[in-house]
Amino acid sequence: MNLIRAELERLAARRFVQLMVVLLLAAFAVAAATTVADSHRPSAAELEQAQSQAAVQIAHLEATHERCLRVKAGQLPLDENDYLPADCAEIDPARMAQLPVATDFLDGVFVFANQARPLLYTVVAFLMLFGLLVGASYIGADLNSGGVVNLLLWRPRREEVLRAKLTALTGVLLGFSALTSAAYLGVFWLIGQAGGTPGRLDGEFWAGLGGSYGRGLVAVLFAGAIGFAVATLGRHTSAALGTVVAYLVVWELGARLVFGVLGSGRPDRVMLSSYLFAWLSGEVRLWDGYACGDGAGFCDGFYTLGWPEALVVLLALTGGLVGAAFVLFRRRDLI
Amino acid sequence: MTAVIEIEGLRKSFRSLRRGRRVAVDGFDLSVEAGQVHGFLGPNGSGKTTTLRALLGLVRADGGRMRVLGVDSPRRLPEVAGRVGAIVESPQFFGNFTAHRTLRLLAVAGGVPTGRVDEVLEQVGLRDRGHERVRGYSLGMKQRLAVASALLKGPELLILDEPANGLDPAGIREMRDLTRSLAAAGVTVLISSHILGEIQLICDHVTIISRGRRAATGPVDEVLAGFDRHEWRIGIADPDRAAAVLGAAGVTVAEHDDHLVAHGVADPELISRTLGEQGLWVRELTPLRPDLESVFLELTGSAPDPAASRQVDDVTLPPAPREPVIDLDVRQNGEVPA
Repeated sequence: MNLIRAELERLAARRFVQLMVVLLLAAFAVAAATTVADSHRPSAAELEQAQSQAAVQIAHLEATHERCLRVKAGQLPLDENDYLPADCAEIDPARMAQLPVATDFLDGVFVFANQARPLLYTVVAFLMLFGLLVGASYIGADLNSGGVVNLLLWRPRREEVLRAKLTALTGVLLGFSALTSAAYLGVFWLIGQAGGTPGRLDGEFWAGLGGSYGRGLVAVLFAGAIGFAVATLGRHTSAALGTVVAYLVVWELGARLVFGVLGSGRPDRVMLSSYLFAWLSGEVRLWDGYACGDGAGFCDGFYTLGWPEALVVLLALTGGLVGAAFVLFRRRDLI
Repeated sequence: MTAVIEIEGLRKSFRSLRRGRRVAVDGFDLSVEAGQVHGFLGPNGSGKTTTLRALLGLVRADGGRMRVLGVDSPRRLPEVAGRVGAIVESPQFFGNFTAHRTLRLLAVAGGVPTGRVDEVLEQVGLRDRGHERVRGYSLGMKQRLAVASALLKGPELLILDEPANGLDPAGIREMRDLTRSLAAAGVTVLISSHILGEIQLICDHVTIISRGRRAATGPVDEVLAGFDRHEWRIGIADPDRAAAVLGAAGVTVAEHDDHLVAHGVADPELISRTLGEQGLWVRELTPLRPDLESVFLELTGSAPDPAASRQVDDVTLPPAPREPVIDLDVRQNGEVPA
């Protein structure tokens, strides 16, 4: 416990961590300020107009569905400009996930319900970068400067020392990410209340946002642990940064091109980014370019990656790297 | 006497793809007994720091056996780590922290009362600078901080690798006094250093390592005595005649500009009597005792060569040690075999 306490203090006192926190808060402040500047509270007339536009849009959808049913029933002739699905249920407004609402037709108005998810993804992306860099520099700088050796002279238990560092890192990342992302969303909720409109904030919305929030926090922990593990394996902060850049360039860009040339149908299935998006958003729909090769009949070329599948992949990657870091650190000569 | 450090047949080599295998320590033995101030000497790259790192569990030994304060190291080192203070090479500290904070964090991590921090800062002369950031410290101040970190635990055994590195003359003297006071308080000290004069002043025992092997060990006086050639510097008015007289008496004499050096004379009375009987009166008769530096240079073969730039590996390789100790010790009670 003493060791973790000391490590927490060391981590919090690092200049790099403090700089990243300042940058994060500055980015938040800029985002909030620009949103406040670009948004206004809608007047009654604007709301009324938006509601009528939404009503028109819904009526149009219902009419299209009704026409589809009547064409299929042979009560109306098929117009050559009509595109009608094989099953009219596909365009049934009653089955749609979300019908047009008034807030979709408000210009220059910040709608919290519409923007909360993108805002959360933005802050999670920033926090993941923060986690990766802080995780890598925390152990990388200590290994490089001899700080770890100093500590081992005091506590010659390598696993305990590395575990304490990883625990301190993930604890700080979790607490910091939970607080800052909640505060960030809270600020924009207030902006929605005072300088825009909150939108439709029902139980389904909060449940979905809560799920994304929780998964986002776990993604930040994954990023921090991966940065920490790769920097431990490579003995330097730069090892982690170099590995991430190399992965992005060689695999996410280069291999994707090669898969395209070779005609592989589902290159996204072997890309970490797909699993990351699936994890953050709950699921991701991806296109299989060769699923509908013969062109005969209806073909749904999409396939789905869900968050459980993504969790398995991300856990295996993170667990593997952290495990390898511990094994190597236990055996390594510290010079 | 109780041995607090025992190293038997330590072997360690490093491998790299480019340079292949390089032997750093080759069957090295070291024994430091309680209460000693033990100097650990060797040229650059001779294996001193590797030995200390292996002893402290920072590098994995390929073979041999090590014990610290009676327990096997590194396997059971954590049991006695609280009684061992150590600095290995020049430790680096986080520049953004003050010395006080650095030591306080170490104290917290090691379960040492934080009240010790001020005491050790006072001991190493950093009391008034303890709240400045380490980044602004000179090399010597960082070295003092390193020593302070080693003293923080109030150790029974202190291992100092180049503690005088970067210290000014006053700092070196303070370090010497500090070491002496610690030794007087019963702390066993193992010091690795290149400053041979300091080692001779501070240490009662010495071990010299060359190319990973032990070249000499024992009390400083005994090690020096082993290299005493019984030489005497003779100052005299007529050196040519004196040389002839001594030569006739069977004494080997070398003539220098203004003095003679007689070799292999155990009793100086032989010189003064032989010369006096011939009416030659000695005005100076000084024993030329070997100092640690000359012994070190001779043992390690690392004396400067005016004809060529000496390379770090151009040193003497001592005879191979006995058969390497293969560590088959599976005993749990930590006893040393007879």
